[in-house]
Amino acid sequence: MMRLRAWSRTFGLLAPLAAIAALGWPAAARPFVAATIRGRVDVPAGSTATNGRPDVAALSMSMHDTVDRRRCVVYLDPAPRPAFDPGDEPHARMDQRNEGFVPHVLPIVVGSWVDFPNDDRTYHNVFSLSKTRPFNLGRYAAGRSKSVRFDRPGIVRVFCDIHSHMSAFIIVFAHRYFSVTDDEGRYHLGNVPPGTYNVAVWNEAHASQNRRVTVPDGGGDVEADFTLR
Amino acid sequence: MRLDRLVPLVILAALGAPGRAAAQVLPERPLTLANGQVSVSGEVTASIGPRSDPGFFDYTDYEHNALRMLRLSLSGRWRPSARLAVLAEVRTENLERPTPYALFVRVRPWKAKAFDIQAGRIPAVFGTFSRHAYGADNALIGYPLAYQYLTSLRADAIPRTADDLLIMRGRGWHDTFPLGSTAATTGQPVISAYRWDTGVEARVEKGPIEAAAALTTGTLSNPRVGDDNAGRQLSARVAWRPFVGAIVGVSAAHGEWLAGNIKNRLSMALQDRSYPQTAYGLDAEYSRGYFLARGEVIASRWTLPPLDAPQIDAPLSAMASYVEARYRLTPRFFVSGRADHLGFSDITGHLNNNLPTPWDYPVSRVEAGGGIYLQRNLVMRAVVQRNWRDGGRVREATFVSGQVSYWF
Repeated sequence: MMRLRAWSRTFGLLAPLAAIAALGWPAAARPFVAATIRGRVDVPAGSTATNGRPDVAALSMSMHDTVDRRRCVVYLDPAPRPAFDPGDEPHARMDQRNEGFVPHVLPIVVGSWVDFPNDDRTYHNVFSLSKTRPFNLGRYAAGRSKSVRFDRPGIVRVFCDIHSHMSAFIIVFAHRYFSVTDDEGRYHLGNVPPGTYNVAVWNEAHASQNRRVTVPDGGGDVEADFTLR
Repeated sequence: MRLDRLVPLVILAALGAPGRAAAQVLPERPLTLANGQVSVSGEVTASIGPRSDPGFFDYTDYEHNALRMLRLSLSGRWRPSARLAVLAEVRTENLERPTPYALFVRVRPWKAKAFDIQAGRIPAVFGTFSRHAYGADNALIGYPLAYQYLTSLRADAIPRTADDLLIMRGRGWHDTFPLGSTAATTGQPVISAYRWDTGVEARVEKGPIEAAAALTTGTLSNPRVGDDNAGRQLSARVAWRPFVGAIVGVSAAHGEWLAGNIKNRLSMALQDRSYPQTAYGLDAEYSRGYFLARGEVIASRWTLPPLDAPQIDAPLSAMASYVEARYRLTPRFFVSGRADHLGFSDITGHLNNNLPTPWDYPVSRVEAGGGIYLQRNLVMRAVVQRNWRDGGRVREATFVSGQVSYWF
């Protein structure tokens, strides 16, 4: 819980940064040789999967997929100025499939729309009570989709009102320097201008980590690995 | 600590949460071990309602009022493979001795087929409310009359005459009869939502049809762990989903109800007969958008041995029906309501000038209220409940109750 609060504070700081960026950063934009920060995040075994509550009142075996909690989001905190350049309103997608949200962790940039199509044969009722973006899409059937726009940075916990084992995270950033780890835990943050940055890692089940990383003027690849505890 | 002090404390503790609610302060996941094979979850439901209910409208037994109760439960599941699971739930009400509410094994013989078998102390297949009875799933605080209201009937003590039964109308919270156990204790509801039966059940789903059947030791109104009459109950439900959001189900149950210690005291001719509880049910659910409605109609019949005049010479019947609805106003707020009635068949005794008289007093109930999700798994509710009964020492009663329900 402390981790969630810390994140809320972090995003609270990012919002003013976005405003400053929109007004113009003191150091004027200049050409640079971009770099890629890449690496790997190791998540401890044994805490990577979770099932729902014991379904004692049910008459049947739940066959929904186990939630993979290994996914991490790696991001710059704070981000360089170009990250705050205004862009379009991208669409992202979070499916309701086999009584689960796919993907389970979805990072987006402020102003994005997220579509929530129902790919199951049963009703779902997507909702969130988060301060960042509370919403309730109600019950809707297979083949239908509803969308939500996310205007503030922060963490949005997403649930289904019908299936208590369904949950997901939408992480709304004020900039574009973020990446989700793949199946092997690898990530990369591309097009990073020279400078020294704080690279942060977030995972739903583990404490966040930060590292200082310097991107040289000449660009290239910079490695930064993490091991969560 | 006394319960009437503890329950308000639990509610006050929860009231401190709204400011932090959005951060999901309290844990919301079950504890998982062995890489997800073992999961443990808990639920705390604290209801604070009327200090006094002299009409015993909401009592689940002589000591427990459904509107004023602290319930703690712990559920566990061990799932060593995708097709096998062992499930259990231990529950305590008002901090009394914890009791196993559920303990069974669940098997799915073929992974690709929606066919499941459960054996042990199992959830009821009849109707729907028994499987919605948890604090978090209940739209209100009270239970439907069919699943909670204590009729005057008992399986371990029976009336010898129709008058013996008529005297006990409205006394289901504490009644006695001349044959059988002499201890004064509670009668039974039409269906007990507070205890589960023991036996084996199977469930199959094919397209929009779902069917489940169970063979158990007790009956709907008297679920049991140990057998008391060498009889079995067969119950079943078939449900049809005509379209997404709608379910229509029909249920039936038939099982030996009368306790063996009573049967042994009957004449040989009467001992050879069967004294079952037989019930039929119709349930329906419809939901769309922010709206959910459910309803059930349940007809139950108990057969008693005809003993002394004026005899109870026909099965005793009860007809229960309720409809409930919930509407989610915002992501956090909802309103809900339920209308409910429980009626009884007539018998003829000397007490009412030989006129046919319901064997228990009919009861009606309306409950309405609303709630707020402080966080996804922390809900506060408040309800107003109005009860009417055609007789008894208290004929009408209105209650206000509040509840906090938390689960992980």
